[in-house]
Amino acid sequence: MPDESAIATHDHASLIVAVAKNRDRIAFAELFNHFAPRIKAFLLRGGTPAELAEELAQEAMLIVWRKAYLFDPAGASASGWVFRIAQNLRIDAARRAQRADRIATEFAVEPAEVDAPEAVVDAVQLEEKVRSAMAQLSPEQLKVITLSFFESRPHAEIAAILKLPLGTVKSRIRLAFLRLRALLDEVA
Amino acid sequence: MTPTHHPKEEKLLEYFSGSLDEGMRLVVAAHLEMCPSCRRLLAGLEIAGGTYLDGLPAAPLGEHALERVLSRLDESEVSQPAPRAQAANDLPVQIRALAPHQLGRWRWIGPGVYWRSVTLSQQGPMRVFLLKAAPGTQLPQHTHDGTELTVILQGAFRHEGGRFGAGDCDDADDTVEHRPAVEEGEECICLVAMEGNIRLRGFLGRLIQPLVRL
Repeated sequence: MPDESAIATHDHASLIVAVAKNRDRIAFAELFNHFAPRIKAFLLRGGTPAELAEELAQEAMLIVWRKAYLFDPAGASASGWVFRIAQNLRIDAARRAQRADRIATEFAVEPAEVDAPEAVVDAVQLEEKVRSAMAQLSPEQLKVITLSFFESRPHAEIAAILKLPLGTVKSRIRLAFLRLRALLDEVA
Repeated sequence: MTPTHHPKEEKLLEYFSGSLDEGMRLVVAAHLEMCPSCRRLLAGLEIAGGTYLDGLPAAPLGEHALERVLSRLDESEVSQPAPRAQAANDLPVQIRALAPHQLGRWRWIGPGVYWRSVTLSQQGPMRVFLLKAAPGTQLPQHTHDGTELTVILQGAFRHEGGRFGAGDCDDADDTVEHRPAVEEGEECICLVAMEGNIRLRGFLGRLIQPLVRL
């Protein structure tokens, strides 16, 4: 099971590299078939209307095509990189919706900013560590991280979902991230 | 020494998701350059986010979605790698995030204290500047009516919230009232993003305020 996912992860990374280096459309189509429907699912889950989710999923894949040269297979995971693109796009779209008159800005996906000058640890190693750190979080902590980070839900909405006071939600999120940080620091 | 004071989680997450404004983003980026723990946390969250995305059940796309995107690949041709901006400043600590920004000249604003502007690409409510204070300087007591985010590039100061050394991030909001004292030893240089107004107290404060229009 871990083997299978490791292969898949590796595959997606080399497909992105093929897109960057050779403008490889077949590689791109393969990435599209895997990621586009998941990006759409991700957006739908966050409450994006279906039509817009479809449009944004396509947009996200165009960004993958354009920004593939920024992907560093040694420093980042393929799906993590795509996740970041999708999340940026969702937030950008939400912002544009608020200011409908504003022209869409070219948003920056700048993995270089996050991925250190001297890489923290290499991507494969870190991936292993992240998996074990996530497994060590309590279900409660995992839940708030999912809602606040993966699904970018506002604190008030998380409070409503979990039926908890806002203050409790905030401190729970804080503690969950502290714990995750501690777990990742431990293995450094 | 690795930093022990980090930006609040919300700020890190907003940085990650691209929703932080330019001024705050600059200060968080400077902190990240100096903080392996925050880099690890963000890199870890990115990986975890990818695992989450991979695990979502696929939502079918409309007919011909792939063809439509394939036909658009050429129109959106490749953005080339932007040439990396050269660090064109004389700061003793090189921060890559600062490289694309123009820095003003150091201006004297009080005994032992200098101020220097950092130009952002867009004018907004957030201002960014550098502060330099001589060892042992007691900075004026102040409160804020907005948010302030500071990263220490060199030297150290202390206030009620603890000791802040190189790389540390002081994430203050309007509930904080503090009076930083610069440690003996090295001169202290900070990068500050500030929204809203700072209210300085005492003689020195009244002296400084009009000069820097804080």
